[in-house]
Amino acid sequence: MLGTRTAPLSVPQGRKAFQLRRLVEPIVRYTLYAVIVIVFLMPFIWMFFGSVRKESEIHGMMFPFGWHTIVPVQWTLENFLDIYGLTEAGRSGGLRFHRGLMNSGIIAVAVVALSMLFNTMAAYFFARLPFPGKKWLTAYVLATFLLPFEVTVVPLYLVISEMGLRNTYWAMIIPFYASPFIVFLLSQFLGSIPKDLDEAAVVDGANYWQILWKVIFPNALPAIATAALIEFQFIWNLFYWPLIATSSLDLQVIQVMIASQTTDRTVYWGRTFAGLVSAVLPVMLLFLFGQRFYFRGAVLSGMK
Amino acid sequence: MASVSIAKPSAQTGLLTLKRRQYLIAFLFVLPALINFAVFRYIPIFMAGHASLYDYSLLGGFGDFVGMKNYIRALEDDLFWTSMWVSFQYALMKVPLQVVLSLLLAMFVARELRGMSPIRTIIFFPVVTSLVVAAMLWSMMYNKDLGLFQSIAGIFGLRHNGFMSNPMLALPSIVLMMIWKEVGFSMIIYVAGLKGIPDMFYEAAMIDGASPLQRFWHITLPLLKPVTLFVIVTQTISAFQVFVPIFVMTQGGPFFATNAIVYYIYQNGFSYNDMGYASALSFFVLALLVVISYFQFRLFRGQAEY
Repeated sequence: MLGTRTAPLSVPQGRKAFQLRRLVEPIVRYTLYAVIVIVFLMPFIWMFFGSVRKESEIHGMMFPFGWHTIVPVQWTLENFLDIYGLTEAGRSGGLRFHRGLMNSGIIAVAVVALSMLFNTMAAYFFARLPFPGKKWLTAYVLATFLLPFEVTVVPLYLVISEMGLRNTYWAMIIPFYASPFIVFLLSQFLGSIPKDLDEAAVVDGANYWQILWKVIFPNALPAIATAALIEFQFIWNLFYWPLIATSSLDLQVIQVMIASQTTDRTVYWGRTFAGLVSAVLPVMLLFLFGQRFYFRGAVLSGMK
Repeated sequence: MASVSIAKPSAQTGLLTLKRRQYLIAFLFVLPALINFAVFRYIPIFMAGHASLYDYSLLGGFGDFVGMKNYIRALEDDLFWTSMWVSFQYALMKVPLQVVLSLLLAMFVARELRGMSPIRTIIFFPVVTSLVVAAMLWSMMYNKDLGLFQSIAGIFGLRHNGFMSNPMLALPSIVLMMIWKEVGFSMIIYVAGLKGIPDMFYEAAMIDGASPLQRFWHITLPLLKPVTLFVIVTQTISAFQVFVPIFVMTQGGPFFATNAIVYYIYQNGFSYNDMGYASALSFFVLALLVVISYFQFRLFRGQAEY
């Protein structure tokens, strides 16, 4: 950013330095690209390739370091078949990652659907509806930002047990049907939609509910998509809460499953890699397709 | 205010004027969210406060009322202080490193040059990855017998004796993994901050003959101060909540070198089955983080006239 700006202002006697710079700059830049790719991508590449090779290869080709330390010689889907319980070896090891993926999927979809409904409604209230003393309600919502999630997990556990929801899907869905952060994020956005739109709808005899879904919702879709992606990723990646909220193996989500499988059997690296790939692929693909929403979400959460 | 003009024609119809009815309907929109925050955010804090005054276990439920005993016990508990110290060390290592690295990366990737967009994407990959996956992947890389780092060290004829089993190296190794995982997030916030600095500042400085370093020091850094403060505070708060990598990679070991406070709370509540004590410990951490958050709000109010 600083380097390129000097170019148009270079004075004649600086010409040689300028030309040298134009030569060196791309070299430096592409070297940095390479370093970044190695540091941030290599672990993932190692993981992906590790999941589609034979166990013996992973162990046998680790040393000395070479091309085949990373890239398989013989490609196989065996590890995936094992962890999804599709082979005898996998079944006898009690592996059923399909169940974990299904649990995570059910919970994440339910949370995203519910939270989009209730968060959008709440954001609509804060951004556009008349109500006396709304600032107190705003303070009530914002004050929850002071409560750090990982520290309130033990207290939340006490509430969920009292409600008799331990070891149910509900334990992992209900606490998240509304989120103060998403309400805040959406209400910022809903506030920026022109007010004439609602007024025109009021003249046409529409009520609040109709205005929200027919007028506001279509105009707020990019923000709502951002919120949905943030929420999905948050729930899919959640570990601490599902770990303690359920002890039943049938309800284990994928994140808890991969952690418990490997602490028990660290020997099977191929299966572990396959489990990691299964756990990461859904969010990775969503990220690749919805990148700009993610970056916007990250920047907006800068206000959290 | 369309609502006011509508409210006029129909006067009072029973107890509910049209205006009051409108308020009531409006309130129904926010009610589900308010109930959620009450039940799952505020009430847990009160319940934990209540539980912290009792001998309370998962299996036995409420036992004897013990008053402040759990809190006093914490103050006298060496392991509690060790855990707090581990969390402090973790934050002290992670926060400054992450701030510096994310700013440097942001200045590099904020330029709209060829190939930059996929680079931004790649740095963001670990951010969308779950903590469990990142922690497990790195503990496999750190592994003494089969790890990728051992293999790479072999190229240079070196050999390491394991990271997670060494009390000196375990915590820094977790810090390194977490920076790898989270640096992209701070970077994107810095990129937004950098794009918000008007070009004319730099142009004016260049006309005055300021060097790139001077421009960085006197324009970029001061104008990014609010962003930096934000990153520092949020990262500090999240550093004190570190749990998953400890759970996955070290279980608090070796010799409590990575026994961070949230992990210690988890152990007390769910391994030693002492919810009363775990609740009391949660309160200590909560108080500490509320104080940090309070300063965050103060700092940001101070930024308004910047």
